[in-house]
Amino acid sequence: MELIATLVLLTLIKGTPLIYAALGGVISERSGVINIGLEGMMAMGAFTAVIVSFATHSPLLGLACGVIAGALVGLLLAIAATRFKVDQIVAGTGINIICAGGAAYGLVLLFNQPGASVQVAALGANYWILIVLAFVLAIAMQVVLYATPWGLRVRACGENPKAVAAAGLDPLLLRVYAVTISGALAGLGGAFLSIGELNLYSDGMTAGRGFIALAAVIFGRWNPLGATVAAVVFGFFEALQYVLQGRIPWLPSDALQALPYIAALIALAGITGRVRPPASDGVPY
Amino acid sequence: MIRVRRALSGPAGAILLVLVLMSLAMIAAGTSPVEGFSALLYGALGGRNQIGETLVATSALLFPALGIALAFRGGLFNIGAEGQLLIGALFAGGVGAQLHVPGPIGIVLLLCLGAIGGGLWGAIAGWMKAQFGANEIIATLMLNFVAAYLALDLVSGPLKGPLAAGAETAWLDPTYWLPTLLPHTRLSIGLLVAIAIAFVLHWVFTRTVFGYDLRAAGEAPEAARRSGVNIARLTWLSLAISGAISGVGGATIVTGELHRFNTQLSPGYGFIGIAVALVGDLQPLWICVAAFGFGILEAGGLAMQASAQVPKDAIHVIEGIIILVLAARRYVAARGVGDIE
Repeated sequence: MELIATLVLLTLIKGTPLIYAALGGVISERSGVINIGLEGMMAMGAFTAVIVSFATHSPLLGLACGVIAGALVGLLLAIAATRFKVDQIVAGTGINIICAGGAAYGLVLLFNQPGASVQVAALGANYWILIVLAFVLAIAMQVVLYATPWGLRVRACGENPKAVAAAGLDPLLLRVYAVTISGALAGLGGAFLSIGELNLYSDGMTAGRGFIALAAVIFGRWNPLGATVAAVVFGFFEALQYVLQGRIPWLPSDALQALPYIAALIALAGITGRVRPPASDGVPY
Repeated sequence: MIRVRRALSGPAGAILLVLVLMSLAMIAAGTSPVEGFSALLYGALGGRNQIGETLVATSALLFPALGIALAFRGGLFNIGAEGQLLIGALFAGGVGAQLHVPGPIGIVLLLCLGAIGGGLWGAIAGWMKAQFGANEIIATLMLNFVAAYLALDLVSGPLKGPLAAGAETAWLDPTYWLPTLLPHTRLSIGLLVAIAIAFVLHWVFTRTVFGYDLRAAGEAPEAARRSGVNIARLTWLSLAISGAISGVGGATIVTGELHRFNTQLSPGYGFIGIAVALVGDLQPLWICVAAFGFGILEAGGLAMQASAQVPKDAIHVIEGIIILVLAARRYVAARGVGDIE
């Protein structure tokens, strides 16, 4: 019984950053921009939250700055994808390398130690608010995308940007908004990792969550609520990995850590082919 | 003014951008650019040892870059070179530590095992894509993590060397070490293997049906399919070959430089290889040149960190920026200028 309670709580904790990143993935891809850079945006959010919390001793301010940092990286991808019409996959990969390298560089400059930051003021017991917020945002995004004119326009950008332009709107501007919001959400997910769940930043702490979130987007059929459910499922496998750790003698601990990634792979193979991305997803306009 | 702008949009602009950003990174770290660049250049090219280390990095980057170029040409985003390289190295190191055959046979066998390991890892993603339509970007990325944990698990358990302190295999018998290319350095003939692969790929891309089909599938998949190209077969085959090339690279690191498998053997060669492939315009021979440039950055970056206190991660930021900047040009090259408004 206690084990189940632990598993449920851990699923929520591990699922939350995935939900934020997956929601970011949904809004970006719905607008027609594939955001491979979610991973880097999470890392930037996590890193910024820690350094601001370190400097000001205010984890709330850290959280806010983490969101802003993610949004700025999102804006970078947005401009690259709209103004410069780059190949979005390649650009996103570049952004991931920039963010991981930038955070590692910043760690050495600020803390004089590679690998990890010092411990900083964290959100502590208040982190549950962010867990609730993740679900609230999921419902909000579902409503915004499917029940407001703005949501319709964003979705139209992902399906047929020419139609949006013909209706007198600027699809590129809508994409910039969507991808910037995407970055802000990923930044929030990253900040949750560093000052919600923990109280420091370490290199590689995002551990592919941005990519797992992309799998959740596909698994959830590019739909905010669907992606949220998928993120919770992947969070469950991450939680399961922790709970099983050391309990099954014949299952080695490192192999268990691969569980969430294998779950994402299997989900990817099982679902795709039967789902359809937005028609103009990844196509520059 | 227009002439200046045109000049800056080419390679000269890219190099200038890199120089400016590197200077900023050095100033931020409290080092003057003069001191920083001289540390970098001395560290990369200042003597036999330094050149050796630069070429070691060149070789390590060249394999994944060539593999990535093959997949990218086919329109497949193989972001999993890091995992493919690691599994190739794991196969070579895991078997190499317990091998009992004559030296030259062993070396060839270990390099082939590297190709098989990396190829297998690439083929998994290819098979998932061909069979289920699974997105190869996410699949190859996920497989990177699976590879890392699998390797960590095996070398901290069954494959761990009896005397090894960390997560690594036992040392290879010296008869299985790749011959040294530049005496008194760590540089092995692995570099020659990489360059040979580059020439073979150049021939494949320009002179064979496979190369033609690959390009057709990458640039006009629908047209390729209608003209009779078996896209499913091409998908898994090109990801398998792409992975195999990275895997051989992993095996040359094991047999050529480290002489054992270690989970830390790649500081992200599979990712930086993307930048190398793009700078080389996906053309094998230019990729060799690009790999040397990035080898200078990698080897010089380490020296710069040691002697001028500029964190080497600054180099990675710059490599990321290069990828971001080149993402624009690649698009134009791949889909034709006419498609862009």
